[in-house]
Amino acid sequence: MRRILLMAQREFTENARTKSFWIGILLFPVMLGLFMIVPELLERTKSARRYAVVDQSGWLLEAVEEQITITDLAGALRTAAARHREGKTDTTAIAPVLQPIAGVLAGLSDPELAAVATAIVHEALPAGLPDSLAADVTHHRAAVWRWWNTLPASSVKGFAPGSSRERYVRVTPSGTAAANQDSLGRMVGDGALFAYFVIAADPVTGDAGSRYVSKNLTDSDLREWFGNLASTQVQVRRMAQEAIDPAVARWIQTPVRFEPRKLSGEGKEETVNANDRLRQWAPVVFVYLLWISIFTVTQMLLTNTIEEKSNRIIEVLLSSVSPVELMAGKIAGIAATGLTIVGSWMLFFVLGTRYLPGLLGAGPNVDLSGLANDPVYIGSFLMYFLLGYLLFAALLVGIGSVCTTLKEAQNLMGPVTIILIVPLLAMIPIGKDPNGTLAQVMSFIPPFTPFVMMNRAAGPPTGMEYLLTAVLLIVSIVAALWAAAKVFRIGILLTGKAPNVREILRWIRAPVGLVPQRRQ
Amino acid sequence: MNLALDLDKVSKAFGSVRAVNAVSLEVPYGCIYGFLGPNGAGKTTTIRMIMSILYPDSGTVTVLGNPNPEAVKDRLGYLPEEKGLYKKMKVGELVAYFGKLKGLDGRTANTRAVELLAQWDLADWLDKTCETLSKGMGQKVQILSTLIHQPDLVILDEPFSGLDPVNVEIVRELILTLKRDGKTVLFSTHVMEQAEQICDYLVLINKGEAVLNGTLAEVKSRGDQGIIVDYDGDGSIFRQIRGVSRINDAGKQAELILADGTDPQAVLAQLIGKLTIRRFDTREPSLHEVFVRTVGGTSDA
Repeated sequence: MRRILLMAQREFTENARTKSFWIGILLFPVMLGLFMIVPELLERTKSARRYAVVDQSGWLLEAVEEQITITDLAGALRTAAARHREGKTDTTAIAPVLQPIAGVLAGLSDPELAAVATAIVHEALPAGLPDSLAADVTHHRAAVWRWWNTLPASSVKGFAPGSSRERYVRVTPSGTAAANQDSLGRMVGDGALFAYFVIAADPVTGDAGSRYVSKNLTDSDLREWFGNLASTQVQVRRMAQEAIDPAVARWIQTPVRFEPRKLSGEGKEETVNANDRLRQWAPVVFVYLLWISIFTVTQMLLTNTIEEKSNRIIEVLLSSVSPVELMAGKIAGIAATGLTIVGSWMLFFVLGTRYLPGLLGAGPNVDLSGLANDPVYIGSFLMYFLLGYLLFAALLVGIGSVCTTLKEAQNLMGPVTIILIVPLLAMIPIGKDPNGTLAQVMSFIPPFTPFVMMNRAAGPPTGMEYLLTAVLLIVSIVAALWAAAKVFRIGILLTGKAPNVREILRWIRAPVGLVPQRRQ
Repeated sequence: MNLALDLDKVSKAFGSVRAVNAVSLEVPYGCIYGFLGPNGAGKTTTIRMIMSILYPDSGTVTVLGNPNPEAVKDRLGYLPEEKGLYKKMKVGELVAYFGKLKGLDGRTANTRAVELLAQWDLADWLDKTCETLSKGMGQKVQILSTLIHQPDLVILDEPFSGLDPVNVEIVRELILTLKRDGKTVLFSTHVMEQAEQICDYLVLINKGEAVLNGTLAEVKSRGDQGIIVDYDGDGSIFRQIRGVSRINDAGKQAELILADGTDPQAVLAQLIGKLTIRRFDTREPSLHEVFVRTVGGTSDA
């Protein structure tokens, strides 16, 4: 036992000195960090798209602009209201001009805020606003309107995050260029404009002649955004023309939605939120991590065994320890290495989800910390890493012991790789149906058990299933290690051509203490 | 009888190949025992059975008085023919590591590693990785790894192969030192001159069988008397000499084995005038001669 620990310790120290060990440890936090930071950064660094519009209809652009202003202003009011509710009331959070009414705004619903914005832009009070509010709006309207129109682009982000001004800026080309589509085309060509729109003379009757011109047609955000706004305005005109009540039109267009509900363990219906969907798919990510870690760590064991064998160091070792001790030492040493890597991943995961959003000063789109604190995920991940590793370690250490070069090992690795690929293929189907027949059957096939059971964590499987599959897996691990030991003690001293599978099977069947014959 | 090593009719077969066939061997304490034999004779297999890396099919192996060789593994030192080092490991750590595997506690192993490396002029390499060592230095480090736990029985498989003359001298000195310290050394080689120079006992293994076994003198007495001739000229002349049964001609030096009853003076008389003779020496047969004759004889049979 002491020797096994010595060898394991040596193995671990040697691995810990390699670059790939540290790359392996840092890979995950770097990926996690990128996953959380990059979308944020991309959003921040995205420059506003400049566009121009040639309006041949004479009214649509104006209507769209008004709609944009109302939407953005409503957004600004919503932000002010939300911040007031959170108690952030200094002038960097809420513009001075909004300070006096922020308290009132905080008490309003989103549609009411939109109505206030409309009132400010139209300089008229729409129906349906309470009288007390009407007085406030009338009193502050002009000042807010002036503030909004003179707000520099650099401040928009601070007071109205998410406003369309951040993303799209309409440019009004001066002089003759305005009417001349050729010169607009040149501006798109040299990058002064991202795109320009041509609105046909009569969009209400039909859209013939309306165009969107850009060099970049894969990024359709601008086209869709402006197109939706224009459609809305055209629909308003069409409804007016046909004397259709807009409320009626909206009602007719309302689709039938089936709200997804999840059935809880107690048989109650629960509403599904973003976190539930995350929980449903998080196992897939964990399976993938599990797969990568088991694959790389067992690969480490394989190369390591072959290296030691081709290094001729094996015989010196065998003069001090028995082959089984040697094998156990190797497997334990690499297990320690692997556990350190995946353990640090999980630690980064828990710490990262807890503290990284705070450091970034922004909440992530999805809340990962609930996942990080759930023992079903992290606990079973570490458990199944260890069990999966041991099973595949037995296979690979056996293969490694009979090969003298990595190339030889590749041939014998073929079947193992195929076994390893199956759970990857089954990952999505099992993620969709974690307690289905496929999932249940595959849980009981030992080489798949770790991956499939991890995959099913969202189900989750019953305690009985956990127990039975674990027993079956552990029994196969013991059997595999026993067979590996038999192959190892013969194979490790072999030089020259690797034995074929039939020969290896004969070694496994032979009683302990005998070296079966090797046909030349 | 008090023996460091006692093999009794040990056999080992790999499939249909009998690698070792009923080899018996008695190695007294404190001697240097030479394991001779051509490549593939079964030397390494025998050694592996002594080290309990392999188990004999039949026969018994008693090492240091213990019929279970595995129990005394920690008191054996083994330098295999194919030697290897962990390339990325530091030299000092490596030597200490092998000591620890042999049951030394951490502190003793570390101090001894430092001492040994200093003794062997390798102090500068203590903290360098093994891949920086030259071949000769690597060999030295391997030998130190074999000896750090001060084994009672040291087994060296081809310790001289691949060494330059300076290092050969160092290893030879080491073997003699071990003997002076009361250790038992068993080493295999196929270079007869080396065995002849330092061995107290010899065993000649051929085709898995111990064909000659005993003290150096006993082994040599099995051969016929010979003459060493240092000469310049055409060596083919030796074939015309009467009374010579065998010739080992190396070009500048030849060993002539005399048929029974031949007078060396008669041979000398025949050579004079035909070759420039620089030395003419009667002596017992060289080990090489015994070896070639024995092995050649059995392979003819």
